[in-house]
Amino acid sequence: MKGGHRVEGADVAPGEVVLERASRSFALVHERSRTLKEVALRGTRGRRARRSSVRALDAVDLRITPGEAVGLIGRNGAGKTSTLRCLAGIVPLDSGRAECGGRPVSLLELGAGFHPDFTGRENVFLNGALHGFDRGQMEARLEAIVDFSELGDFIDAPVKAYSSGMQLRLGFSIVAHLDADVMLIDEVLAVGDESFQRKCLVRISERMEGGATLVLVSHDPTAIERICRRVVVLEGGAVAFDGPVADGLLFYHRLLGTERGASQSLRPAAGGPLERGSIEVVELELRDAQGARRRAFRPGEALRVELSLRCAAPAQRAVAALEVRDQRGERCFRTDTTIGSVSGLLEVAFEVPRLALLGGDYDLAAGVWDQDAPPTALLDRVARFSVTPTVDGEGVADLRGRWSVHGDASSGGPTTQSPAAEHGSLAAASRTARP
Amino acid sequence: MLRYRFLFEQMVRRELRQKYKGSALGVLWYLVNPIVLMGAYALVFSVLLRVANVPDYPLFLLVGLIVWVFFSQALLAAAPSLVTNAALIRKVRFPREAIPASVATVQLVTFLVMLALVTPVALAVRGTLGPALALLPVIVALLFCLVLGLSLAASVLHAHFRDVEPVLAAALLPWFFVTPIFLPIDDMPGVSEHRLLGDALEWGNPIAPFVEAVRDVLFTGAVPTLGHLGYMAAIGLGALAIGIGLFRRMERELAVVL
Repeated sequence: MKGGHRVEGADVAPGEVVLERASRSFALVHERSRTLKEVALRGTRGRRARRSSVRALDAVDLRITPGEAVGLIGRNGAGKTSTLRCLAGIVPLDSGRAECGGRPVSLLELGAGFHPDFTGRENVFLNGALHGFDRGQMEARLEAIVDFSELGDFIDAPVKAYSSGMQLRLGFSIVAHLDADVMLIDEVLAVGDESFQRKCLVRISERMEGGATLVLVSHDPTAIERICRRVVVLEGGAVAFDGPVADGLLFYHRLLGTERGASQSLRPAAGGPLERGSIEVVELELRDAQGARRRAFRPGEALRVELSLRCAAPAQRAVAALEVRDQRGERCFRTDTTIGSVSGLLEVAFEVPRLALLGGDYDLAAGVWDQDAPPTALLDRVARFSVTPTVDGEGVADLRGRWSVHGDASSGGPTTQSPAAEHGSLAAASRTARP
Repeated sequence: MLRYRFLFEQMVRRELRQKYKGSALGVLWYLVNPIVLMGAYALVFSVLLRVANVPDYPLFLLVGLIVWVFFSQALLAAAPSLVTNAALIRKVRFPREAIPASVATVQLVTFLVMLALVTPVALAVRGTLGPALALLPVIVALLFCLVLGLSLAASVLHAHFRDVEPVLAAALLPWFFVTPIFLPIDDMPGVSEHRLLGDALEWGNPIAPFVEAVRDVLFTGAVPTLGHLGYMAAIGLGALAIGIGLFRRMERELAVVL
């Protein structure tokens, strides 16, 4: 391999990712069209200067420490994939420095590195070989990879017969077992179903505990929010934001201008067996205390659910209902209310002054219907939101209790909690109880 | 580079598999090509035109043809190989030399199979078993250096300039006819009158000394001239060095131009 691009220098620790003033442009007129005739007529020199080019990376500075997970988000064409490809060493930089410490492993596309005529098993070896592993090393991993992928007997079928979900299963399983120091993953997890996605994220976080670093490109804020503490928003090839995930997603949504209207229903109104009633929930929004649109909350924050309704026909006895379900689909909470006679356009809101949920992902389902006209009791809109994990308890409900310890400790008298430990963990309680 | 040996092995397997997928005769197809050519040329040059007064003429043709078929097939297969594997190059980082090198190696394997079949026939028919035979592995190794160097160059050039493969395909046919496959250069009637032309055919064509050397060893049972041996070493190692150098220079932008 050519050593020019990635120097495994002493200053980059395994798992560390460094971009320094990294710049890369691409010619807008694709060089594919270059023929010998063109070169003969114009010469190779000056070709780059004459053509207009687009800066995919414009002096990007980024330093990721080992064990960190960074979500890379941004609009289409903001330079996310280019950044990954430069980090993976597939595309060289024009100037600057891009280095991954240790062994970088990339999963940039479904089926990347697969040969369609080979079986899944043979592709495990081919893929391992592409990443520099030998037969023995791959044989040692084969069983774990096949197990993880849950492909069963399909592992001996040619990959061209695989669905995209199966390709992801195999591709991710391989990548996850290559002892990567840096994992570069581009927007592929979205293809997997919920349970496999969760499994991937669990596997990634295990690898991270071992010191591996993750750079994840995704348009799915839920996935980013689940695994990454830090988010980098790219805009026009430059870093527009670099910081905590909640702020980053907010920044990104502001950038997209989707603070309003993003959750508008785009479903065609026409019927089918799930024909809605005459009342339609046009928009379902979750907002925080400041009225900003949010999909990530902290336990105890205020949450406001807003429903925009459109009534095709006036209804006398309209009912609105909300339901919150946890990751397993278990109902955590349900409420409904009669909102009386409605017509035209109107808004209904439900206020939660203090969100009493612990960390995790939740689905909020909502529906409005006319009690006098079937179908009734149809929760036909769902919004997913997440609650930041805290160390204050396990489970679903955040009861936010207080610990206190009474007894004849030498300090005498009952001990009360310090305000800092208001959310009450046992550790905090025993600490304050100690003389 | 060494830790990618397994990759190289996998690539060769992949190429072999792709070639013979669903074909009943498999590797034997590669023998059909030179044997059909041998039959046709023997008919034309020996029976119809009567220009060839070489004993065991079909065997003479066959020995030259397998060298030429190896050379030309390897170049034609290697030239588009990077483009064919664009999906891989754009998505995974690995030593890209492995692609044209594995294509050339697959052709080498076929060549060796043919050589293994032709050699006993030549030894039996021509009685050429002798010390000269020991040079055959050296000649084959140098020939592979030439083919590998040209394959690396052709593949990376074709990735940047897509007309390399058609140019190559067009050039190979005339190239075939100026290569001394039908007759030894000295037997060509025109060469005695134009000595310069004979020299050009012999020294201006990098593949010609290899054809003659393999024929010397297998068909005549003679040691190739020192001039030919030196020429082959220089051409083989030189082509390899140039091929590697060119590939290194031009492979950086591969993921962009593909």
